[in-house]
Order: sequence, then C-alpha cells, then structure tokens
Amino acid sequence: MGAFTYHKPATVGEAADLAAELHGARFVAGGTDVVVLLKQRKIDPANLISLRNVAELTYIDSADGLSLGSGVTHTRIANHDYIRARYSALADGARVVGSKQIRNVATLGGNICNAAPSADTACPLLALDAAVRILGREGEREVPIDDFFLGPNKVALADGELVLGIKLPATSEKSGSAYIKHSRRQAMELPMVGVAAWVSVSIGGSEERCRGALECEHTPDVIQLLQNEEVVLEDVRIAMGVVAPRPIRAREAEAKLKGQVVSGALFESMGDVAVSECQARDSFRCDAGYRLEMVRVLTKRAILKAIDRIMRPGREADIDLLW
Amino acid sequence: MAYKDTMSAEAISALGGAVEELLHIGKGAPRTAEIDKVTGKAVYIDEYQRPGMLHGKILYSKHAHARISSINTDKAKALPGVRAVLTGYDVPDVRVGFLGDQTLLKRDVVRQYRDEVAAVAAITPEIAEEACRLIEVEYEPLPAVFDPLEAMKPDAPLVHEVDARGRPLRSNILPLPWKLTAGDVEKAKAESAYVVKDEASTTWINQCCMGTSGCVAEFDSNNNLTFVSLTNVVFGAKGRIASYLDNIGLKRKRIRVLNPVVGGSFGTKLDTDIYEFICIQLALQTRKPVKLQFSRDEEFFALPPRQAARFTIEQGCDKDGHLTFRKCEAILDNGAYTSWGATTPSVMMLPMSSMYRVPNVLFQATCVYTNNIYSQAMRGYGNPQAAFALETSMDHLAEVAGFDPADFRMINRNQPGDVTPMECKITTCPLDRCITAVREKIDWDQKRGKGNGRGVGMASLIHVAGGARIYMSDGTGIRIKVTENGELDVISGSTDQGQGSPTVMAQIIAEATGFMPEDVNMIFGDSALGLWDAGTHASRHTFVAGNAAVRAGAQVKQQILELAVQYIPKLVKSALKKQKRKNPDFVEPELDYSLIDSPEKMDIKNRFIFPKAEPDHPYFRMEARDVVRRGLHVGTGESKHVVAEVFWDPPTQMLNAEMKGNYSCTYAFGAAGVEVEVDKETGEVKILNLVSAHDVGRAVNPILVKGQVYGAAYQGVGMGLSERVQVVEGKVVNGNFRDYKILTAKDTFPVEAVIVEDPDPAGPYGAKGIGEPGLVPTAPAIANAVYDAVGVRILDLPITPEKVLAALKAKGE
Repeated sequence: MGAFTYHKPATVGEAADLAAELHGARFVAGGTDVVVLLKQRKIDPANLISLRNVAELTYIDSADGLSLGSGVTHTRIANHDYIRARYSALADGARVVGSKQIRNVATLGGNICNAAPSADTACPLLALDAAVRILGREGEREVPIDDFFLGPNKVALADGELVLGIKLPATSEKSGSAYIKHSRRQAMELPMVGVAAWVSVSIGGSEERCRGALECEHTPDVIQLLQNEEVVLEDVRIAMGVVAPRPIRAREAEAKLKGQVVSGALFESMGDVAVSECQARDSFRCDAGYRLEMVRVLTKRAILKAIDRIMRPGREADIDLLW
Repeated sequence: MAYKDTMSAEAISALGGAVEELLHIGKGAPRTAEIDKVTGKAVYIDEYQRPGMLHGKILYSKHAHARISSINTDKAKALPGVRAVLTGYDVPDVRVGFLGDQTLLKRDVVRQYRDEVAAVAAITPEIAEEACRLIEVEYEPLPAVFDPLEAMKPDAPLVHEVDARGRPLRSNILPLPWKLTAGDVEKAKAESAYVVKDEASTTWINQCCMGTSGCVAEFDSNNNLTFVSLTNVVFGAKGRIASYLDNIGLKRKRIRVLNPVVGGSFGTKLDTDIYEFICIQLALQTRKPVKLQFSRDEEFFALPPRQAARFTIEQGCDKDGHLTFRKCEAILDNGAYTSWGATTPSVMMLPMSSMYRVPNVLFQATCVYTNNIYSQAMRGYGNPQAAFALETSMDHLAEVAGFDPADFRMINRNQPGDVTPMECKITTCPLDRCITAVREKIDWDQKRGKGNGRGVGMASLIHVAGGARIYMSDGTGIRIKVTENGELDVISGSTDQGQGSPTVMAQIIAEATGFMPEDVNMIFGDSALGLWDAGTHASRHTFVAGNAAVRAGAQVKQQILELAVQYIPKLVKSALKKQKRKNPDFVEPELDYSLIDSPEKMDIKNRFIFPKAEPDHPYFRMEARDVVRRGLHVGTGESKHVVAEVFWDPPTQMLNAEMKGNYSCTYAFGAAGVEVEVDKETGEVKILNLVSAHDVGRAVNPILVKGQVYGAAYQGVGMGLSERVQVVEGKVVNGNFRDYKILTAKDTFPVEAVIVEDPDPAGPYGAKGIGEPGLVPTAPAIANAVYDAVGVRILDLPITPEKVLAALKAKGE
C-alpha cells in the first residue's frame, strides 16, 4: 500500500472540515474494506480521515422508528434485542458479515458506502425502506437508500460528503422481515445471492393454526396451511443482492404479491417476476443461471421467514432454518 | 528379493514384550512442545532474522504463454534500497525440477502465469515489492492450451519445444508411462456378471498451510551455504541445491539445511520450489543473507497445489459380488512444468490395484503439459483422487449388482496374508472392523435408502503405513544421547511440520529407554547434525523414525544397564561406607549382589534402574542418571558416554519396472461414513454426521491420532464440497481466503474418529502411519451419501450446489 496521512478527528464537525480541506481524502471507519482496497492498490489516497473517534456517529435510537449512526458496528446491531425483534432483516444481515472479528470493527456506514453488490446490510436496508442521512457542505440531507446505491462501489455522495446515519420507519406488530444470505460456507463469505423481505400481513383464519403450520418440515405444506388460514400480504418489500450491478428492489414482484393470499401458485409467479427484474451475470463466484434459480427459492423463503417472525415473535431469529 | 527383517533381538523384545506393561505408549500425552506456538514465541520463517538480511521478491508473468520481447530493469535498479535485480539474463542457464523442464528465471518464453520473470533483493520487503512494479516487461502472446485433452491433440500448441537436453518435442504428453497390469482385464470383463463404467474428476486443491512459504539463504566467505528452509526432506533439498550449485560452478560447497518452526506442510514442502533457488541466487549476488517470504496471494497462485485428475474407471463383479476386474485410465493436467504432481500415479496405483480383492487390474496414467499452473504433493498424494473414482464406482457397481454398498465392501475386503496385484503384502488388516464400526456408528441400516433428502454414504481406503520406498533409501537416522542430568538429547534426521512428532517420539523413546517423555529433547531438521532421512512424507514419520528410535532406545538401555552392573555395586558400597563413617553403630546389610550382576537381570522404568527380581530393592533401585554420571567420571581412559546411533532402512522393495513390489512394511486401512442432507431447492449439501474409522496398528498417542483424523476429515470435506483452485485460462482467479472456500470454524459438524487397533509386528510398538488416511475416503463417502439422499451421482469434485441442482433438474426434480 502507498503512504498516506492519517487524520483522527473527534467530532463530525472536525471530520467535515478536514474533508472539505483535503480534496480526495477517504473516510475510514472499521477499515475492513478500505484497508483491503489500499493493500490491493485499488485506492491510493494521500489522506485518510478516521471516524473511529467520532462518538457522535455511534448512536442507536429507537424512539421514533429506528435511527442508527453510521459508526455503529455490525456486532452491536446483531446483538441489539430491539433490532432483532423489529428490524430482524437488518440483524440477520449484520450477523453474517465476514467474521466475528470483522463485525466487531466494521460499521454500518462503511458497509453501505463501500456499496458492494453483495453487501449484507444493503438488502435489509432496502427492504426496511431506510433513508440515509448525509452531511455535505450545504448541510444535512436525506436520501432514500434506493437512490443512494448507484452501481458497484458507487454511491450518491459528493466529494467530502459524510454519511451520518440511517433512519428506518416504525414497524407494526403485524410486520416482520428477514434476510437470507445464500453462500458456500458460514463465515468469511460473500453471498452468491442475498434476499431480504419485509411484509405486513392480515390473517383471515387462526393465528394459532398459522403457528402450527410453521412447524411443518416441508415448505409446500407450510404454504398450503398458511393459505388455508387466509394469510394476506398487505404490504411487501423485497430486495435482492448480487443479481444486478447494485442491490435492487424487486418492485414488480412486490406488486404481484401485494393484497394477495399466500399460495404456492402466487410464489411461483412471483418468482418469475423477481427473476425478470434481475440482471445477474456469470462470475467465477457463481453462474448467473444458478443465481436466478436462487432468486426464486430465496424470495419465497425470505417472505415465509418474515411471516414466521410475525407469528412467532419470541422465537430466536434462527437464520439456519429453511425459511 | 528376500523378505528379511533386520530388527535386533532387543528391539523385538521391546516391541513384542509384555504389552500391558507399556507406560507411555497409548497415553494421550499433551503436546507440550507446542505451547510456544500458541503463545507466539515460536520462531517461524516470518520471524527469522539474520544481521544485514535483505528481502527478496519475485515478479511473475502476465501471460499464460508468451514470448518475452524485452525486460527493462533500469528503474527498479535505481530505486533506493534495492541491492539486486535479477532476470533470466543474470542467472546461469541451469535447469531445475524433477524433469529439468524449467530455469529459475524465464528469459525467452513464459509458459504459465506463475512463471518467475525477475527477482529483486532490497533492504525491506516493501522496497523489493515496489522495485518489482518498476520492472518493465513486454510480451508477445503465444497460443496457449488449457485443457489436457486439447493438449493431447496433434495440432495443439506445444508448451515446450525442447526437452531438458535440448531435443525437440513433438507432443505435450510427458515421457512418464505410468502403467500397471495384472491378470487379464478384458477376459475378466467378458466373464463378469455386472460391469459399470464411470468418469470421475478432481480438481486443484490448495494445501492452505497456516504458515506461508519462505526461506533464508546465506553464504559465508567461502561460498558455503546455510539454507533455512521449510522442507520436509532436508537431505532431498540439500541434494537438489548441491546439484544446482555444482551446475553453476560452485562445486563441492558445504551446505547446511535447517528448519525453522514450520507452520504446516501437507505436501508443499516435498519439492524444492523455484523461489528457493531464486533466494539462493539473490544471496549469492548480494553476498548478504536474503529472505524470501510468500504473501498469501503467492501461496495461492505461485505454489503448486494438489494434482488435478480425470479418470475413466470400469469395474466388474460376478453374481456373488466378488470383484472380477478393475480398469482405470487417468489423465493428469501437468501444467507447464513438472514437480511431484506428475508422480502421483505411483500412489494412485496402490488403491487402484490393492483396494479390495480384485484379481485383474489395468491402471494407466498420462500426464500432459498445458499452460496451467503445475502441481505437487498434497496429503494422500494421488490416493484421494483415485479413491474418489474407485469408491464412487464401487457404489455404482453395488447398486447394479444389487448389493448394499457396505455388504459389497465386506465381500471384497482385503484380508491379512493377501498379496495384491501390485505385490503389496498385506500383514495386519482390520478393514472389516473399520467398515463395521462405520456402519454401526452412522446408523447405516436405519438411515440408508430412504431417498428423502437425507442419506448415508461410505468409502474405504488403503494407504502405505510402513514407510514408502519411493527412493532407493527409505531410511532414517537417529541419535540418542543421555546427559549427566538424565536428559535425552535426540537428533533425528527427519523434520517436524507441526504434526506432533516431538510428542510421539518422546513417548516412544521414553518407553524404549525407561526414561520419561519430558526428559526427551527432540531436535529435527538439521542436515549437519542429523543422520540421513528420506523425508517426513508418506505418513512415514512415526513408523520409520519410531522404529529407529526403538532400536536406538534399546541400545541406550543396554548401555546403561551394563554401566549399572559395573557401578551400582560401587555406588552402593561407597554409600554404605559413608553411612558407617557417620554412624559407627551402623550395621551394613547383607546384600545379594547377584541380583544385579548382569544387564539381563535389571530393567529401567520411569528413570529408575532396578533388579527385576526385586523392583523395590532398598539399595539397588537407583536413578539411571546417577549411573550415567558415574560412567562419565571414571578416569584413566575408562569413562564412557551413553549414546546410541541407529540408521534404519525398512525391509521393503523398490517398485520394479512393472510398477510392482512391496514398497511399504505395512498398509493402513480405514473407512469413512457420512450422513448428509441435501436441499433439493438449492442443491446445498449439509453434512450431518461423519464417522472415520482407522486402522492405526497401535495408537501411540490417541489424542494426536484423533487430531490427525479430524483434520484430515475436514480437509476431505473441503475437497468434497467446496475447495477448488479456480483457474481461468491459466490464471488463478480465487487466490484468497474469501474466494477459496476452505471450511471455517462455523462450518464444522460432528466428526467421530474411531481408532481401530491391531498392533502391527513391523511397527514401533505396533504403530502404523496415520497422517494421510483420514482425508482419503471422505470425499467419495460424501458423493455416495448424496446419491443415497437424492439419487444423483456427482462425479466431478467439488460437489457444489450448482452441480447438485443441475443434476436434480436433469433427473426431472
């Protein structure tokens, strides 16, 4: 890696001033992406501005929806009871990033600013309808997360702009979310495909029987029993990673589902639509064809898992469960 | 050749003797020698320093096949801190390698991406790296070939235009005609009731040593070389370096090869790699010690991995399920140059000819040059590749012939006294117990054949376990010296790569000498101090070095007991005299000195010499070191040092021209059983349970045996499910731990290691080698389990979710 000057501001103000002053400077928080890029010489900045001492960026505030500072680590998110209960998809994503050591230092802000198509918190934030708080020369602005990701490693930040944090809307008891990372192993991994889903439901039949349905071993049985109980997907948001140059919303698939009773046929046709929204490509990591097959499977599973979270809220968010 | 054991009478009594009285063998002694490793004190090559040491770096090719049109090193040489920049024009045009098919630095043509084009020595690794970036190389790309089948075609581009002696080559096929035949395969095939034919393939696997490769070379003023190397064949490395130095005009120079602490080997340290010769050349050029240490990137793209192989295998059996023949043709992608990967067929032959009773065998392997990376050894050598083809074919044949795969293996199991078609003599062979143990512990009869997404699979193995005579010498030397303080300083010509040899050797030596394991100070890996050794490979260390240690230990014990006959009476008498002087009333006891008047009447255990007739004798029971010290201080030319040196070469045969012979004293058997769950929607295979039962002769240290089996089993699962070096048009594209899918701690699952003991008369206290076997049957057992679970045979490793899903779709699910 090349030589650089390392700056350690203590406040957001100092950090912003440094960024304004040092053209082309790079912010670094946990460093788990930036240091790799430096070592690979993919970036070679003259100045690094560290955000590690900026305490203002490490807030978690659940008073109105959920607000997270960009400096919050993945470990804190993954271990946060309220996030696990009400913003489960985000906790799911945070707990599968890299390894324990990486999660202990890597930050939420870093994960979205790096903007890898495979970023594990990106799909959850899209599905949870996050807004990004950005501080620029003109002051603070908010950008919907869907407008924040522009392409591979490209985000809607001007030179010197800083992500302060993330805002997530409030969730109701009748909504739940999940993120599924489909990967070849359990740690130190990028997903082949990542899918997050957020749903709110109404139930025509018995909640108790819905809970029973979720105990079934085979997915088709689960779906059939939920259909019997008239589980309606009142609102749905689906996000997919590694199937396009950036993490994307599956808006047409969402539209297909909205207001419908869950059923095997519905999931089948939703899968086709979701696949049509992808621009997957072949790489040595995974073939496009397989990624698209997985979009079908994982969108369905993520929705079922989100429903499971509504029905059985006390339950430990088991990411290894099939749905 | 006469089948004669050279074991001494003492050694045989040490082996055979009263087994129940073993004090140190069979105990799970902790690995105290390794505490320094886990506390960060051990000096690996990374920490190894010499005054004034420079750091070397290598510049590699940017093409799979290209002519070098120009190299400009001016900018690199001008960089402050750079001490040497070498290209192919600066080093003698001397060929190295198993077939002499490459030079250190490539001057005219590069034949693979890892071709070494230039090398730099500088005062820091960073400067050396920067200097490599400043070297300008221009290439003219040449047509390349990446598929061995394509490379075999007459019109394929030639990877090499001439051989090592400059003779023109017309084909990419290597002049290594691996072939083994026994009986009449075609006749047996015609007479078989059932025949199956399959194609199986395995890919490149990186050994993933925790410590990356590296070395330090240093010449003295007389051009004698000290070479600190991770080699596991100290004398082999020394020989190769000596011949290189000879060829560049440094004749008859003294060479000392030394091991630092080594962070894993798994086959990577068998050959002397090009980086090592380059480091030596940089040291020679700069007249300074030079260290060359690989980054993890280099470890992935510039270190030869496990040999990839493709097999076409046919087997048949009669109506009763007895195997009638086995025919297998292998094609090996040799890459651009030749290292030990090209010799893996010598080990593939063992399972192909000798796994199960099969009277008619034909095995043939063809190695083909391509512009891919080249390969070398990895744990199991060619055995895991061959076992994958063989054991999946066994399951296929069992199905076609209508047998339960476990029953089918039992019907055909090897048995003691068998002489295999390769002329391997099977001595001890508890394969039946291994298969039965797996069958029970994996709950085979309950879980097999459900086809409900869960399934069980099994595979067996045979491997050399009593040395492997792949060179004319399979010998090893050891020297045991007993010090005046009762320590045993032991120098073994072999090496320790972290497999636990200091612990196991200490147990064997303590048992043989009568001292304690903690008294033993093991020194490995020094060509100047150690006696010749053929290398710590082929699962041979415990067996061969252990046998040498048993013999040397018996000599040490005999020497001490001879001293005891001489000096215990004197020591006792002088003690009594002393007591009498202090206390005039003391009455000297009547002692029967005939109890200790010959070495045969005494023994040593737990550091104490005692008369066998009265082990707790109040006067004659004495610490061995007191006798040793007394023996050192006799004076007048009579003093004697207790020291024994043994060089032991096992009573085995070199393979003859037909590739037959009993090249190991004994063979290890084993079986693995796996239970899997297959996700039919994603194609993912999840291991629920793995049982690996192994014939170890006797477990010198059960904890370490299990450690070997666990580690090997996980490596086998990696080979089966996730590990592959991905090479795209000659280039390694997943050369890092993010994209190379070695299993992580989070991917673990229960592994049960079952130790099956049947002490082998040839082994030290009955032990067989167990370093490699655990890996061998794992991948085929997984493939067989996947078939049992969902009915698809994946015969191309690794068994990725993509392949499983595609096979399920092809089957219509």
